[in-house]
Amino acid sequence: MSPQVLLDGAIAGAMIGLGAIGVTLTYSILRFANFAHGDFLAWGAYFALAIAGALGALAGGLATPIEPFSFGWSLPLALLLAVPLTAGLALLVDALLFGPLRARRSAVIILVMASFGAALTLRSLLEFTFTSRPAYFTSELQIALRFGPVRATPDQLLTLAVAAVLVLLVHLLLTRTTLGRSMRAVSENPALAGVVGVDVRRVVRFAWILGAGLACVAGVMAGLLVQIRPQMGLDLLLPLFAAAILGGIGSIPGAMLAGLVVGIAEAATVQLVGAEWRAAVAFVILIAILLLRPQGIFGRAD
Amino acid sequence: MTPALSTHALVAGYERDLPIVRGVDLAVAPGELVALLGPNGAGKSTLVKTVAGLVPVHSGTVRLAGTEITAAPAHEKVRHGLAFVPQTENIFATLSIHENLQLAAAILPRPRQAGRIAALYDTFPDLAARPGLRAGALSGGQRQMLAVARALVVEPAVLILDEPSAGLSPRIVSEVFERLRAINARGVTTVLVEQNVRAALAIADRAVILVEGRVAHEGPAATLAGDPIVGELYLGARRAEAPA
Repeated sequence: MSPQVLLDGAIAGAMIGLGAIGVTLTYSILRFANFAHGDFLAWGAYFALAIAGALGALAGGLATPIEPFSFGWSLPLALLLAVPLTAGLALLVDALLFGPLRARRSAVIILVMASFGAALTLRSLLEFTFTSRPAYFTSELQIALRFGPVRATPDQLLTLAVAAVLVLLVHLLLTRTTLGRSMRAVSENPALAGVVGVDVRRVVRFAWILGAGLACVAGVMAGLLVQIRPQMGLDLLLPLFAAAILGGIGSIPGAMLAGLVVGIAEAATVQLVGAEWRAAVAFVILIAILLLRPQGIFGRAD
Repeated sequence: MTPALSTHALVAGYERDLPIVRGVDLAVAPGELVALLGPNGAGKSTLVKTVAGLVPVHSGTVRLAGTEITAAPAHEKVRHGLAFVPQTENIFATLSIHENLQLAAAILPRPRQAGRIAALYDTFPDLAARPGLRAGALSGGQRQMLAVARALVVEPAVLILDEPSAGLSPRIVSEVFERLRAINARGVTTVLVEQNVRAALAIADRAVILVEGRVAHEGPAATLAGDPIVGELYLGARRAEAPA
């Protein structure tokens, strides 16, 4: 496998890993597979696109690319606003849909089916608002920089760095703060967490905020590196779940590492077998991990 | 005197039309150690889980030092001074010993947290030896000690334990019960659900016997311990065969 495939895979994998952290958080705390998570990525990207466009229109200078990147200040500023908006969207979906179902003690399968419904609704709203035509944060062309045997654009290197910093911050949050310990406690045993004094509803709200916030960043990365489409959430859904399960549900480092594995496996498949097989890779990984080590890399069998 | 913990006509259960606790009146005086006894299925565990906020209340009230806490969620009851140690899964196995204590201490003002955890390490030196150890790696007795220590971090007014002797060897059971007696002697009102009747009556001030979700008997522990009828009817003891 060439070093270039590794780098390309790692860049795509960093974006998958960030999205998978949200999947793993909501899965471990809310105890259901949220199939609308991919659509939070798409909404995050579109929030950022709309805000960046508005900022660029208001102040033309903000759209001027910041050397050596392909985008202007309008995009990072838009991202700062898009993250709370995406988190707000997730809280709204929870308040309207998942919260009432939890209150009725609905079975997990009901929540999963509801998430399918939410995914379809969110996706259709995006198509209705923005059409299904691909959109881009920038039309600037970037010259890839050479680092020995590999090439990468400044945008790609920035996304890798941002993903690494975010993973570190989330890991520190979960292991070094009271809120993080509360999240891990709720993930293990929500009833006991309540008895110990943890406000479980607050933890659930924060899980949505964190998961959707990271989904927004991952969506903007996907938009920056590839393109923005209403269907992008659906396309990313399988890789996100493959990474979350491969990493071990509840494990943040696991989700990130597994995201890199899925990204690299996809890149290698494109080079070795053909681009038409790319979508099958995550599926094969998912089946293999469920058969061979269902607890994932970092999960514990007990 | 206002009871430290009281219930009035408490009806509770997981299903609305299937109450397990059926009108319990209970009053525990400050500083008292009360054993809650009864045959399997009597509703002992459901009663204490209801008081802790884990089982829905259908009707009736729960009061802590006179303040009604019937509808308060579990995490708010802790802030009112109620600590509950469930029978099983009573520690966070994936967190370290220290993290289990930190989690409980989080409701205290920040300057007091470290001091309270240090005080608990003094009381339970086994836990202090390896604070970074994953709690899931502890033995059954050590887990029980951690669960009790975790409950005591917040200096509760009332401590409720659901079968703390379950699954423990007799030697460890006596150690756990000695600790509970010592904790109670420091003024912590204690309610103890137990199947190990002999051990519970040995440390309790008073016992309440529950049958089919209702209080059937109550009285001083020493009196009930020597009552053969109570033993036969509710505690599983066998009456000596009468000669023909």
